[in-house]
Amino acid sequence: MSLTNPYLPRQVTVNAVKNESLETKTLRLKLQNWSMSFVPGQFVQLLLPGVGEAPFCIASSPSDQRHIEITIMRRGMLTNAAHYLRPGDALGVRGPLGRPFPIDQFEGKDLLIIATGIGIAALKSLIEHVVGNRSKYGEVTLLYGARFPEDLVYREDMKHWSSSIKIIVTLSKATPEWQGLRGRVTDHLHEINLKDDMNIAICGSPTVMASIVQSLSLLGINKERIFVSLERHMKCGIGKCARCLIAGGKMVCKDGPVFKASEISLEAIGE
Amino acid sequence: MYDLSEEDLQKIPAILQGLGYEVIAPLKFNQAVKLAPINADSKIELDYIRLMNSPRDFLLPNRETLFKYRSTATITSYGLKIRFPTVEGPCPAGISPEYSSQKKKLAFFGIHPCIANSIRYLDRVMLSDPPDPYYSDRRKDMFLAVLECDEGDEYCLCKTLGSYKVAKGYADILMRKSGNRYIAKPMTPLGETVLKQVGKEISGDYPKIVPRMKKEYEITNADESSIDSKDASETVKSCTLCCACTVTCPTCYCNDIEDRFSLVDPSNVERARTRMSCQRRCYSMIAGGTTFLKSKEDRFKWRLKHKFPFSINSFRLVGCVGCGSCIANCPARIDFRDHIARSVD
Ligand SMILES: Cc1cc2nc3c(=O)[nH]c(=O)nc-3n(C[C@H](O)[C@H](O)[C@H](O)COP(=O)(O)OP(=O)(O)OC[C@H]3O[C@@H](n4cnc5c(N)ncnc54)[C@H](O)[C@@H]3O)c2cc1C
Ligand code: SF4
Ligand code: SF4
Ligand code: FES
Repeated sequence: MSLTNPYLPRQVTVNAVKNESLETKTLRLKLQNWSMSFVPGQFVQLLLPGVGEAPFCIASSPSDQRHIEITIMRRGMLTNAAHYLRPGDALGVRGPLGRPFPIDQFEGKDLLIIATGIGIAALKSLIEHVVGNRSKYGEVTLLYGARFPEDLVYREDMKHWSSSIKIIVTLSKATPEWQGLRGRVTDHLHEINLKDDMNIAICGSPTVMASIVQSLSLLGINKERIFVSLERHMKCGIGKCARCLIAGGKMVCKDGPVFKASEISLEAIGE
Repeated sequence: MYDLSEEDLQKIPAILQGLGYEVIAPLKFNQAVKLAPINADSKIELDYIRLMNSPRDFLLPNRETLFKYRSTATITSYGLKIRFPTVEGPCPAGISPEYSSQKKKLAFFGIHPCIANSIRYLDRVMLSDPPDPYYSDRRKDMFLAVLECDEGDEYCLCKTLGSYKVAKGYADILMRKSGNRYIAKPMTPLGETVLKQVGKEISGDYPKIVPRMKKEYEITNADESSIDSKDASETVKSCTLCCACTVTCPTCYCNDIEDRFSLVDPSNVERARTRMSCQRRCYSMIAGGTTFLKSKEDRFKWRLKHKFPFSINSFRLVGCVGCGSCIANCPARIDFRDHIARSVD
């Protein structure tokens, strides 16, 4: 049963650790003698020996199947321990898990990616994929909101992405020195050329996502084209522990984490 | 159909043991009746209405080890600073799935139809793709001898939910009391083999009887919006959050998976699955403290939504088998029927 046991992790080693912000690090993990084919939006269960497992979105391009990157924000026991990892450390990974973004359906159309806070980690793989296959997509915009300038992550990646996609960054608690936009992401939706057939991918905190979806619907965007990536408490990742149930009875680990806004209620998106 | 005396019936477990089964049957512990593995001296209790536990506790045992592994992680300050040596890879290299298949097949003897049906629900959840390997292994070749009821008590809801009838495939033997004796019907060839050894074959049809209920109900408001919109703040006021409702429910399967190790030898780690209850706050808490089910009322409704609309949506099966355990065992006498059903007299 060991081969088909979905609870058994496979080994990865930490290849590199990058500090993104005060609270956030990106780990580059090398898959030991195995490869993973995944689609942006999927996640893995990361096992820290002796600490436990937690779900993290894969934050790297799907074109590299021998490595994955995950960005971890320090929030509790496991994420804290993860901040002590160093190159060479061995970890366990189960995945890829979950339903990804419908990247084929996104092709040929405009794409708006809205991220707030650490939610951008769930969208990075999609951004990398779009940047790597730029000609397949229409106009692509990343609208990224954070609180303080110090919270901004993926600064170097942004420089690279900005040559092929439009990036709008806004801070809700900007310091006086901040040169860029201020306010919440919802304050800047009107600056985007919203089109009827464009697709929108969103990840952020529950309340923020709910308010973005609401604003977009008010602006006349069809909920069929809005995709949200949800976060819930997760244990098994395969539909057996019922921890990730959301209103409507869907399981975030199996039916999500990416959902069409039309498939679920606003209550399931928000708190 | 077979005719048996109570003595004959009590011989069945030994026959099953002879066939290599571990027999789990209702035994009396002080005032309570509980499913437990039997031994030669066990006196099986056949005259009971409700169990303290259920087959779930054997098919998905609490604190079950999923696998063990060796970790060379050193703990400098528990919970804060956990360092991973860079020289030799710890964990997964040494992950040894030390779960060996259960030596004995399980037989449940003398469970009521609602409880047999609870296994059907667990099957839907645990065997859906991808199947849970631990559960599948345990339930494989399971034998079920189901004792039908004549009468329920004030908490039973099986008549309303139709769960007094065992679903196809969830009984090897059906039996019921008939006067001072028992009648039994084999439902599988193995059930027939067993019954042949103890009973006398008689002609006639095994009766189809609907058990008498003390109170009768009609489910009226079990869809998601009705459950949500109906006010339950008064109902849940006295809830002590003891979780007895979910602990004793035969279909509650929510769980936690965690790493366990002793501080003396932290290198031997065990990944264990433990029971979780939706009545606890931490059930729905995510990092940062966001909690989706904030109040007692949210959680009370969540339990009902998981049993009814969610299960119907995901598994095409009602998750409540009407055993009444959650009502009978609630110290606050919270009765979910008040929220979703109407009594009919
Ligand atoms: C699909 C998905 C993708 C995610 N992707 C990322 C990502 O890319 N980057 C990132 O930084 N974070 C991500 N998260 C969140 C991350 O899983 C949590 O931050 C992490 O589980 C917290 O663990 P902890 O041990 O540090 O916290 P704990 O000390 O365990 O607890 C802190 C809080 O986290 C909650 N929590 C514990 N375990 C889990 C769990 N398994 N799932 C959700 N909440 C939990 C606890 O209830 C508590 O409120 C994702 C979550 C999900 C569900
Ligand atoms: S058994 Fe009763 S008191 Fe205990 S958690 Fe359930 S509803 Fe609340
Ligand atoms: S919800 Fe209550 S009545 Fe229904 S199966 Fe569970 S314990 Fe029995
Ligand atoms: S994480 Fe266990 S059911 Fe989704």
